[in-house]
This record gives sequence, C-alpha cells and structure tokens, in this order.
Amino acid sequence: VATDDTSTELVGVLVRLREILVNTDLPLQVTDVEDVRRTRRELIDQLEDYVLPRLLQIDAPLLAVVGGSTGAGKSTLVNSLVGRRVSEPGVLRPTTRSPVLVHNPADAVWFDQSRILPDLARTTGAPGGVGTLHLVAADSLPAGLAILDAPDIDSVEQANRELATQLLAAADLWLFVTSAARYADQVPWDFLKTASERSTAVAMVLDRTAPKAAREVGSHLARMLATRGLGESPLFTVPESDVDENGLLPGEAVEPVRAWLHSLADDAGARAAVVRQTLEGAVRSLSHRARAVADGAREQQDAAAMLRTEVVRTYDDAVQAVDTATQDGTMLRGEVLARWQEFVGTGELLRSLEERIGRIRDRIVGALKGRPHTAQQVSVAVESGLETLLLEYAESAAERVEGSWRATPAGRQLLDQADRDLGRASRGFRASAERAVRDWQGDVLEMVRAEGADKRSRARFLAYGVNGLSVALMIVVFSYTAGLSGAEVGIAGGSAAVGQKLLEAVFGDQAVRRLAAQARSDLRTRVEDLMALERERFLDVLDAAVIAPDAADELRQLSRDIDDARLGVG
Amino acid sequence: MSALVEGVRKALGRGGDVTSRVDGLERAVDAAQGRLPDEIVDPARHALEHAGQRLRLSADHTVVALAGATGSGKSSLFNAMCGLELAATGVKRPTTSWAVSCAWGPEGAGELLDWVGIPRRHQVSRGSLLDSSDADQEMHGLVLLDLPDHDSTEVSHHLEVDRLVQMADLLVWVLDPQKYADAAVHDRYLKPLSTHADVMLILVNHIDEVPDDERESLLADVRRLLKQDGLADVPVIATSATRGDGIEQLRAQLVRRVRDKQTSRDRLLADVEQAAARLSSATGHAQPGDVDRGDKAALVDAFASAAGVPVVVDAVERSTRTRARQATGWPPTRWLNRLRPDPLRRLHLSLGSGEPGPAARTSLPEPTPAQRARVDTTVRAVVTDATAPLPHLWATAVRHASVSRLDDTGDALDMAVAQTDLGLDRRPLWWAGVKWLQWALFAVTVLGALWLAGLLALDYLALPEPDTPDWRGVPFPTLMFLGGALAGLVLALLSRVVAGLSARRRASAVERRLRSAIAEVVQDHVVGPIQAEIEAYRACRDGIEAARRR
Repeated sequence: VATDDTSTELVGVLVRLREILVNTDLPLQVTDVEDVRRTRRELIDQLEDYVLPRLLQIDAPLLAVVGGSTGAGKSTLVNSLVGRRVSEPGVLRPTTRSPVLVHNPADAVWFDQSRILPDLARTTGAPGGVGTLHLVAADSLPAGLAILDAPDIDSVEQANRELATQLLAAADLWLFVTSAARYADQVPWDFLKTASERSTAVAMVLDRTAPKAAREVGSHLARMLATRGLGESPLFTVPESDVDENGLLPGEAVEPVRAWLHSLADDAGARAAVVRQTLEGAVRSLSHRARAVADGAREQQDAAAMLRTEVVRTYDDAVQAVDTATQDGTMLRGEVLARWQEFVGTGELLRSLEERIGRIRDRIVGALKGRPHTAQQVSVAVESGLETLLLEYAESAAERVEGSWRATPAGRQLLDQADRDLGRASRGFRASAERAVRDWQGDVLEMVRAEGADKRSRARFLAYGVNGLSVALMIVVFSYTAGLSGAEVGIAGGSAAVGQKLLEAVFGDQAVRRLAAQARSDLRTRVEDLMALERERFLDVLDAAVIAPDAADELRQLSRDIDDARLGVG
Repeated sequence: MSALVEGVRKALGRGGDVTSRVDGLERAVDAAQGRLPDEIVDPARHALEHAGQRLRLSADHTVVALAGATGSGKSSLFNAMCGLELAATGVKRPTTSWAVSCAWGPEGAGELLDWVGIPRRHQVSRGSLLDSSDADQEMHGLVLLDLPDHDSTEVSHHLEVDRLVQMADLLVWVLDPQKYADAAVHDRYLKPLSTHADVMLILVNHIDEVPDDERESLLADVRRLLKQDGLADVPVIATSATRGDGIEQLRAQLVRRVRDKQTSRDRLLADVEQAAARLSSATGHAQPGDVDRGDKAALVDAFASAAGVPVVVDAVERSTRTRARQATGWPPTRWLNRLRPDPLRRLHLSLGSGEPGPAARTSLPEPTPAQRARVDTTVRAVVTDATAPLPHLWATAVRHASVSRLDDTGDALDMAVAQTDLGLDRRPLWWAGVKWLQWALFAVTVLGALWLAGLLALDYLALPEPDTPDWRGVPFPTLMFLGGALAGLVLALLSRVVAGLSARRRASAVERRLRSAIAEVVQDHVVGPIQAEIEAYRACRDGIEAARRR
C-alpha cells in the first residue's frame, strides 16, 4: 500500500492516538456526550480491531463481514457460501449470538486473538457465549478470504447491535444482506451511509426475494444504492428458495456471490485494491472522527472549567461577604454592642485595668450572680455572632454552588455521584468555625499580651488588662473600615471609639493601627482556610471527573498528523 | 371542577370511574405545574386535552389502527378486512405513504376522522357501499386505519405513525416473522405503551411463510419479547392475509370491541394511567410532614431577634418603670424623672393601643449580619427537615418558596412590631391612688411645715404660743412634717418596687404579643409558602393515586 517509512509513521501516530483516546474517557455529562463517547469507543475498537492490525499485516487475508438485519438470512447465506452448516440459523429472532469467522485452514494464523479483534476470546470446537468469536476452518473457502457472520444490526438485543457495529468496522469488505421486506428499512441504510462516507467496500446481497418480485425490488434497491453514493457496489440477488436438509440454499442461488468472492480471493491485485479502499477510507474517517472527539474533550474541559469557576467564585464571594460583614461596623450591633456597652458603661473596662482587686471582686460577683465576667461576655457574643455568620455563609455558598451545578447536566451528574449531600455545609463545619473563632480570639489575646510585654513600664498594669484590651481590640477590628478609625463610622464607631482611645493611650496609635490590621488579616486568613475546606469538597468531586488538560489539543494535533501521514501514503 | 372534567362528565354521564380518574390526573397536573420540569408535566396535560377531545366525539365508533413495519402486510390485512382493494400493496418498499381509513356503519365517523386527521379523499365508508352484508352489520361502528410504516427510510412516515398511534382507540400491531424482534417497534412503541395492553392486539402476519413445526416456538418467542416489554397479557393472533389464517379471529376481536363500545374509554384510561405513572416516578412516594411546632418556635425566635424584639421588650420595661416613677414618685423629686427620655419614644414605637396609625417605620436597629444569618440558617434547617422525604425537584421548589417572600419580611416584621399594642397608655389604678396619697401626704407635710413656721413666727414675735396638741409628747406639726415626708418617701420606695415588678410583667406581656404578631409574619412569609408547596405535593400524590385507582 505504501512505502515503509510513511506507513511506519502512520502506525506511530495511530498508536499514539489510541493511547490518548483510551485515557480520554469523557466522564462529564455534557450535551451530546453520548455521541462523542460512542465515537471514541468506535475509534478505539476500529484502531485495535482493524486499522492497526491491517496496517501492520497488509498481506493478511481479506475479511468479509456479513452484516445486516435480523431475519434477512445472513446465517443461511454464510452456510450456503461455505457449503456446510457453520452458523445456526433459525426462525427465532435475533439468531446469531456469537459471531462465526470462517477461513481457509492455511489462514488460521492470521485470526489469532493477538492479531485482530483482541477483545473477543476465540473458540474453535463449539460456539461460545457472549464476547467470543467462533473460528471455523473450511477448505471450501479459498485462501486469502475469510467470512465473518456478524450479529444483526436492528434487533431488540442491544449487545447484538453494538457487536455488529464493531465487527463491521473491522471489515475489509461488507457483505451487506437485506431482504425484500427489509431493503427500505431505516437502520440498515444508516449503516450503509457510514460505509459510503468512509468509502468502505460494500457488496449488497438482496436475499429472500420472491422470484416474481426480484426484478422490481432489485432495480429499486439499485436506485437507492446509487442515490446514496454506493452505485459502484456490486448487487447480488438471492431468490427465495427452499433449503435442503442441512439448511443450505441450492448452489445456483448463491453461485454469483460465491463466484465473486472466489475471484476476489484469486486476484491479489483486486483484493489489495479492496483492502486499500477500505483502509484508506477508515484512516481518513479516523482523522475526521478524532476531531469530533477532540471537540468533545474540549467541551468537557469547558464544562469542568465552568463548574470550577462557579465554585471558586461563590466561595470567594462568601469570604468577601464575611469580610465585609465583620468590618463595616454592622457586627457591632445587637448582642455584641449591648455587651460592650455594658462592659464599658459599668466601668468594668477601666476597673479591669486598674487593680488586681477589681478583677478578683468581679470574679466573686460573677460567681455569686452565676454570670461570667463581662469581658468574657463580650467575647462570647463576638464568638457566637461570628460563628453564626460563618455557618450561614458556608451554608448559602454550598446551596448556591449546588443550585448552579444542578442547572447543568454535568453538575447534576457530579452531585448525584457524590457520596454526600454537597448542598449543605459539611457536617463538622459548625465545630470548625467555632474553633477558628476561638483560635482567632486566642491570637488577639496573645497579640495584646506580646505588645504589652514590650512596654515594660506598663507591664504590670497590662498583666491584668489583657482580657479587656483584647476585647477592645476586637471591637476596633469590627469598626475598622477602609483604614479609617472607629470614630468615622457612626454609632457603632462611637462605641468602638472608647476602646480605640483606651488602646491608643496604652500602645500609641501606630501600634493600635498595626494590631488592628494584623488581627483583621488574621481573621480573614482563618475564614479563607475554613471556606477553602468547604470548597475542596466540590473541587474533589470535580477533579475526579476531569480529563487531561491537553487531551483536546493533542487529539487535534494527531488528527492533523494522520492527514499528513496519509497524504504521504497516498 | 374544570371545564375539561365537566366535559368528560357530560360525555359519560354522571360520576363514574373515568371522571374521577381524569379529575385525579388533572389535579396532579395542576399541582405539578411549575414544580416538576415541563417535559414531564406537558405530556400529561396533553393526554388530558386529548381525552377531553376524544370524549366529545362519537362514542359509537371505535378507531382501530393497523400499525407495523414496512412489508409486514398491514395493507393486505386492511384490504382483507374491508373486502376491497383499498390500500396499495406491492413489493416495492415502503408501499403505504399515507393513512387510509375505512368506516363501517353509522354516520358521524367523518367528524371523528377529521379530528384524527385523515383527509376526506383517504376515507372510505362501508355503509355507503351497496354490498352491505350481515358481516358488515356486526362491524357497525368500526373505523379501521391503515397506517404507514414506522421503520423505513421515509422519516415522514414515522412521524405520521407517531401521531396516529396517539389518536387510535385500539392499536393492532402487525409483526412478521422477519421483523418481529426489531428494536424499531419494541423500543420505540411497545415498551413505552406497556400501560396500553388493554387496547392492543398483536398480529404475527405472514404466518404461512413459517414452517408448520416452527410456528409455536415463533409465537412463544413473540410472547417472550412482549413480556419483556411489559405486555404479557396482550392477545397474539397468527394471521396470513393471503391464506386467510386468523382473519376470523381478528374480526371476532374487532366485533367484540365495536359492540361493547368500551375501547375508546379504555384507551383514555390507559393514557391516564401512563401519564400518571410518569408523574408518579417523578414525584416518588414520600409522606412529607408539616412544619412542626418546634420548627415554628425556632423561626419565631430567629425572626424576633432580627426584628429587635428584645430591644423593644427591654424598652417597654424601662419605660413603664420611668412612667411609674413619674406617677408615684415623691412629689418634690418627681420632676427629675422627666429629664430622662422615654426609651420607647426613641424607638418611634406607638405607645398605646389607640389608632394603629399610619405605621411609620420604627427606628429599631437594623438586624445585624449575625441575626440575619440566624434567620437564614433557621429557615434552611426548617426546609431541610420538611423536605427530607421529598424528591429533589420538589425539595428545590419548597426551598424557593421558603425564600420567595423573605425579602419583604423586613418590612412586615417592622410593621408587626410597630402595630403591636404595647399597652403603655393604660395606667394602672394604683398609680392614681398612690399619686393622690402622695399628694395628700405632701399636703400634710406642707401643712405641718406651715404650722411649724407659724409657731416659729409666734415665737420670734414673742407672742404667746397657743396650745399645740401632741401625740405621746411629739407635737402634731412636727409629726405631720416629719411623718408626712417619711411616709411619702417610704411610699415612693414601695411603689418603685411594685412598679419594677409590674414593669417586668408588662414587658413579658408585650413580648408575648410581639411574638404572636411575629408568628403571624412567619406564618405568612415562610411557613405558609412552605406548607403550600407541601400541600401541592400531597395534592399531586392524591391526584396520581386517584388517577391510578382502578
């Protein structure tokens, strides 16, 4: 067919194509993905079953696959061509369950499982079950020609239809069998259309035709073939006739088909031409279909990217929203404000800074009244406020992502596959939010303590005021808008101003600004970490269903390489 | 009761099986509209409309469609039944390009056939033909259709078949030994019509082409495939148009159905069953509960906190205390209380029941993000509880309903709080009593003081002192002055304690009233919509049950 160089190059490209296709399993449910998946499957099958074996062994016998509708008489035709019963025909539909390959004994070596149709186990004695290929050696077939009786293409057995498609894709020549009742059916013509597009060599057999109808039906069929681009294909008519005790048609009924096949087997040139026609058509369509798979892969990547963007954006928004809510002063209302005012108003803040005695007295009073220390109450209020806020934003982010994922088929599929309900925040979120807020408060306390430790003169003074000062710092953080100090943001700022003044008196305003900024960025980091964990739940599910990022480009490139190599061959 | 069901009633006489089942389906469809995807609801609605149309047309006619693959011999069978060469037969495929009808007997088939969509030129009436025989008499009311094929390369034929399969009362599927296992007929028609076994016949035509000893196994195989399709009970008749096998059997089947005039009704019920089954698989069989008391209480808590109820209650308590002090305080120091602003006025809340007023916005603080978050979280938790057993689609509908009115909840809450009677214009009687007593005591004190002042003046002017009465040695004026002042102060203190208690009681009464006002808002804006969705689910399930009840 070709010079060795270009052929080797083509084989290399095709091997690579097969490898990429095997790895590109198109897991996401996008529009029309079923078609692309089927194309991919067919490509892999055809590469393994036909194109690669055929390119490597250009001298192998010509494989004629007998395909067609259920009940058109494929098995009887094959038996009659071989001259003995090799395939079980019957009135019950669908009949042929495991395909039968008949070859000349001398050609046996070519049909080894390692050479062609690798995913079908071979049986030789009795026909095996599903997933096997029954090999029969028959002297009546000439060397250089093998006949494969494929299952039907249109019965209710989906497995039959799929196997038939696979086997026809592995054929050098289609011996397409139809009947007077069948010849205008849609399904066979869909197959023939594919054959015509791929310039597969086809021979039509019009089987089971009443002699008086043969002329009219034959000419109608010939017209149909011509209008569908198969005008070159030979058309044989096998008249409806009684079978003998072996289930064989009379010799003269199938003689034209048999004679044509034998002449093909005898004429090496004609045989090579048939092989080349089908092979080149197949390779051409490979490149074409590889592009379709590349487009499908691109769509997968786009869909995955869209889903990912949705997740990332939603959780970024959630972090941003928490950030806004904690610094625009709105946190400083309700419970937190009430507690803070209580803290400031009862003079406890100042007292807490004064002396050990105040602190001890507070403790005693607190214990008697059964209420915690008021500084403690402020930080509890802050904690529960922040916690509620975090929980709600995590919940609503999860809900929003779920909603937008559910709006796309791919997202729906991922959500259904996930082993947990992604529409809610993760189960331990409340606990981890609580921990994060506590840790942040601990850090703020530590920050104040460390800052105080530097100021030696006030070290003692501060030793008792750390709690109060850290609460004051939190309040300042919550009213710290766009770098402005608390005083500028209205009522909330007003109450924060006390804390700010106090802190400034103790640390100086530079340090307060620095501490507040640090506490704020610390809080933000913690919120980001929390949300990142939530986000990962979605991204993990998504990552499990993503194909290699360069698959589409590579497939496209390989498709071009095939075209180049093919032109070299031509 | 809709016009459709009313129409069905008229067509069938009062009550009855069909009416209640059509009515059930209609209720289910109405409830599912907008909640389940249109691709599930629309076919059901279409089935309803179709049923209504068919029932308005002739009930004396039974439309029988011969459907099958190209080459299965539909036209030959049609001709055999009509006894005329009406439909084209031949070896060239596909032969029949358009549906042809043949009607036996009474007038009125024309309108029905117009509805079915058979052009006049393709309609033949046996009644109008001269050779009316006894056999024809018993076929009166039969409208036989010869359909085009559903599997040839002519796609327009498939579409015509799809349409007519929807219209016919009885479907006669003509299979043949070559094609009986085709996916084209099983996957596309028979499987989806598994609910229509009552209005279906299967013919295995061309039986003469099958060797005698293989016929039984062939028919068994046909039955096996039909069983796979869910049509195990459909009668299977082996026929041959050329040799006449099974034609009598077929005729008998048709005569029976034409005579009892039940087929159009059975077909309709099969359509209802099919539509209801599809709806049912989308709705599932959940038993959703209602929003329970605990959930409602949690919602009211969250909304009350967001609406600032604790702030109002606190203000009511303080305000009541302030006013009590103003009313019952010791007169000389009472004016000091007026310097304190009334905390309720600061919130712009109505102080009394009086007029509900043009409900100006209150100046309650906006809910904090934490409060809003609490509301959202609570609503979400309630929805999750309520929808746990529902199918996903419906749960989403509930979720949407739960937040549908959440945006205007802020105003509604504010209004609820603003219009709630805080009962502050009611002044307890004891305030007045204490007030008078205080004034009386004050008057006694003043009188005592004046008396003492008079005595002082007499003493100063060295006038003889009149006898001053005394009580156990303490002169009356001194007793009046000191006693009056002391008693006033003690009374003020006592009143203060009592006022504190009553203020607390009043605050909790206000809290109760506010919470019940908020409970109404919660009911209207959150619980109501959720319950409406759950109710719709129940209505849909009930409708489906009713539609499937035999």
